[in-house]
Amino acid sequence: MATIVAEGTGTPVLELEHEIPFIRKYVFSTDHKTIGIQFLFMSLFFLLVGAVLSVLIRYQLAWPGKAIPLGSALPETMAPDGIMLPEFYNSLVTMHGTFMVFFAIMPLLVGVYANYLIPLQIGAQDMAFPRLNMASFWISVPAGLLMLASFAVEGGAAGAGWTSYAPLSARPDLSGVSLGQQMWIISLVVLGLGSILGAVNYITTVINMRAPGMTWFRLPLSIWALFITAILVLLAMPVLSAAMIMLLFDQTIGTNFFLASEGGQPLLWQHLFWFFGHPEVYILILPAMGFVSEIIANGSRKPIFGYHSMVFAIIAIALLGFIVWGHHMFQSGMNPTLAMSFMISTMVIAVPSAIKVFNWMGTLWEGSIRFHVPMLFAVGFVMMFVIGGLSGIFMAATPVDIYIHDTYFIVAHIHYVLFGGSLFAIFGAIYYWFPKMFGRMINATAGKIHFALTFVFFNVTFFPMHGLGMGGMMRRIYDPQQYEHIAGMQDTNVLVTLGALGLFATGLFFLVVFFYSLFWGKKAQANPWNATTLEWQTPSPPMHGNWSEIPVVYHGPYEYSHPEMERDWLAQNERPDVVSPVAHSTADGS
Amino acid sequence: MTSHAATVESVLRRPEPGLGVYDKKVGMWVFLCSEVMFFAGLIGSYVILRFGASTSWPMPGEVLNVPITAANTFLLICSSVTMVKAFAAIEQGNQRGLRGFLLATALIGALFVTVQIFEYRELIHHGFTPASGLYGASFFTMTGFHGFHVTVGVICLLWATQKAFRGGYTQEDHEGVEVIGLYWHFVDLVWIILFTIVYLI
Amino acid sequence: MSEHHEHTESGSARSVEASAAAAATGGGAIAAEHKAPRYMAVFGGLAILTLIEVGVAFLGLPRAATILALLGMAVWKALLVALYYMHLRFEPGLLRLVAAAPLVPAAILILLVMLEY
Repeated sequence: MATIVAEGTGTPVLELEHEIPFIRKYVFSTDHKTIGIQFLFMSLFFLLVGAVLSVLIRYQLAWPGKAIPLGSALPETMAPDGIMLPEFYNSLVTMHGTFMVFFAIMPLLVGVYANYLIPLQIGAQDMAFPRLNMASFWISVPAGLLMLASFAVEGGAAGAGWTSYAPLSARPDLSGVSLGQQMWIISLVVLGLGSILGAVNYITTVINMRAPGMTWFRLPLSIWALFITAILVLLAMPVLSAAMIMLLFDQTIGTNFFLASEGGQPLLWQHLFWFFGHPEVYILILPAMGFVSEIIANGSRKPIFGYHSMVFAIIAIALLGFIVWGHHMFQSGMNPTLAMSFMISTMVIAVPSAIKVFNWMGTLWEGSIRFHVPMLFAVGFVMMFVIGGLSGIFMAATPVDIYIHDTYFIVAHIHYVLFGGSLFAIFGAIYYWFPKMFGRMINATAGKIHFALTFVFFNVTFFPMHGLGMGGMMRRIYDPQQYEHIAGMQDTNVLVTLGALGLFATGLFFLVVFFYSLFWGKKAQANPWNATTLEWQTPSPPMHGNWSEIPVVYHGPYEYSHPEMERDWLAQNERPDVVSPVAHSTADGS
Repeated sequence: MTSHAATVESVLRRPEPGLGVYDKKVGMWVFLCSEVMFFAGLIGSYVILRFGASTSWPMPGEVLNVPITAANTFLLICSSVTMVKAFAAIEQGNQRGLRGFLLATALIGALFVTVQIFEYRELIHHGFTPASGLYGASFFTMTGFHGFHVTVGVICLLWATQKAFRGGYTQEDHEGVEVIGLYWHFVDLVWIILFTIVYLI
Repeated sequence: MSEHHEHTESGSARSVEASAAAAATGGGAIAAEHKAPRYMAVFGGLAILTLIEVGVAFLGLPRAATILALLGMAVWKALLVALYYMHLRFEPGLLRLVAAAPLVPAAILILLVMLEY
């Protein structure tokens, strides 16, 4: 038996002002925790917007040409008599992708948790640049609203797909959308600026503000993942901004960067977009992997299996992410040698991804597993991510890709990775860190119901899409009954839509549970999951400034089931080295 | 690190983390990384458009006025040296040097932008516009974004100058001067590359 | 060091040029530590290289040679600015790594796309 000693540096924390006016405390706050929570509400709102758009898309695909219930409320330019116009369908598909990728998943992963977790898990009082942090949130909000407002302008919202391939997106007369497309571009450039400012902050904070003893290889894996993600944002986002600005000039001031008819290079857009786009894919999955590592170690009551290999796998995925973008363009035509090298580098990414999956399984192996709600979502993540990862390998192989490119197979793939992957991990993270953020618990039964329904409806919705894609259903088709070979699969399309409606209802159920728990949930303790990382060693929710005394870190982040101890967890700021007959105490650093 | 063999030595090892460089400087360097990628996107597009162009590209000096721009380049180099002199002055606690050199830097920067505006006017007057082909499009986009960066830099420098005149920087605490200097030198560095590939090659 | 401190103390009374000269030969804690970057010498180098560049561009050498020479000089000038004016020569290794990091993806972007054409 050992005495657990938790120690601070004795460094008195910065004396923080006590009376903060309302507007500085909740609206223009510089506290990283408040900003994280603001991002949470913003991105949940846009997640709901994206979900509504997807339900409309699915309605059209199941019952093409039928009037949408309540659809008569939509204006003539979108759905006369409630029947959806093809142009409006294009906008829906475009905006669903855009909202989900840029305004829901990305801020949920990076905006919410990088802000909330980085200072708490590394033992800092706040970000390196709190005001910059506030700016990055208040830059993102108008960007999202501008995107939303584009539905209301003449010509409707952008309709060239979330990838906005030129020349369709570069010439207003080709897509029939001019102002909407320009708002789309400006909104994403503004959002990009906000993301870059955020990334600068996260990187500087992790490099420079770790607590004493928090060496690089004592960082929790979520911090590693968020740190590498921030580097990806930093290096990939500006390339998108440059491309977007050129596209905007094509639209507005008559340049012709991407117009082949005037000597421009439409393929250049694809190169620039996917040079950003593929790192973006990892921006959307790496933090999820970090959270899942955290939750699985906690739920298995074991140290994470292969901590170092986990870190190196994250780094390897990020590095490889910069040399694989061409696999999105096999079908666009490219130099076969180049296609071959893109194919090989893409397949190589399967190696670090598989390392991570095996490490999660190694962590679960012989653990005393506790299936609390975050753990359910984490295990669900691993299962869904394996399916999504495997279908990714199909696409990596040029010959297969040429057949299934731009079909529902790729829709299935991306949703297995982004929904079954990222969003499952996000739900897990919300349940896991909710007590810390709001000081209240989410009811476990409600959480388990939410998980079960999500898991079932998710698979009902997206698994059949693999078959639809192999059967030749195009990715952005407006009316599947136009073609005989797709019309024969209409029953499957109806099934998928029913699944999507179930998924949407489950999402609404989650929102109810979330807001109920916010006000009436059971009060949470400082460390409800018996977890080891630093954020659990301060009250829930933490005070302004996070710590009463800056913690000192003695060991790695996942010291569960230490053999010399009765208690099955040992926090990072506790040391078991003083052997004494006294049983364990539950010192928590404050 | 996650193994249970946490020996006493490893427990007591308390390395002080961090880079040994203050936050603002790290932050500025990290931000400059993203700026590098932004200009890499623009320069890369220029290179590709030029390589893939079906029509021949004008030779240096055919459209653009190289002597005037060379003089303008010289101006920017001068502003870089005055910037670094401002930093060197405050390192020694020389307030007058700091104020003088900061003001000089801002003014030279403003002069650079002015010359660039006149260059644009002249070019547009002769029918060379962003809409007159790939050359014009990429020329105005690249130099325009550089000019935008210079303008932002001048605004920051003017702000720093007024702060210097109020005695806001001291020999011990002049992080702001160094950080703005980093940005300014980066803008100069980008121009060095742009001048070569846009005007001379 | 002591000499420079005297400079500093009397610096406010002297002209800007005088104290600037002190900076050029090295003064202050950091400058003394890193062997006095010769800011004026770097400035001279940059100016001369710019002149040579303009000359080379109009000399009428073979096209490939011109491009190589110009790019070489541009990189040289960029390095001068980064190493001396931005003090990279005197920074810790990790900060230099941060500064050099984006050059890798930037090179990948430009070179791989060029393979296409």
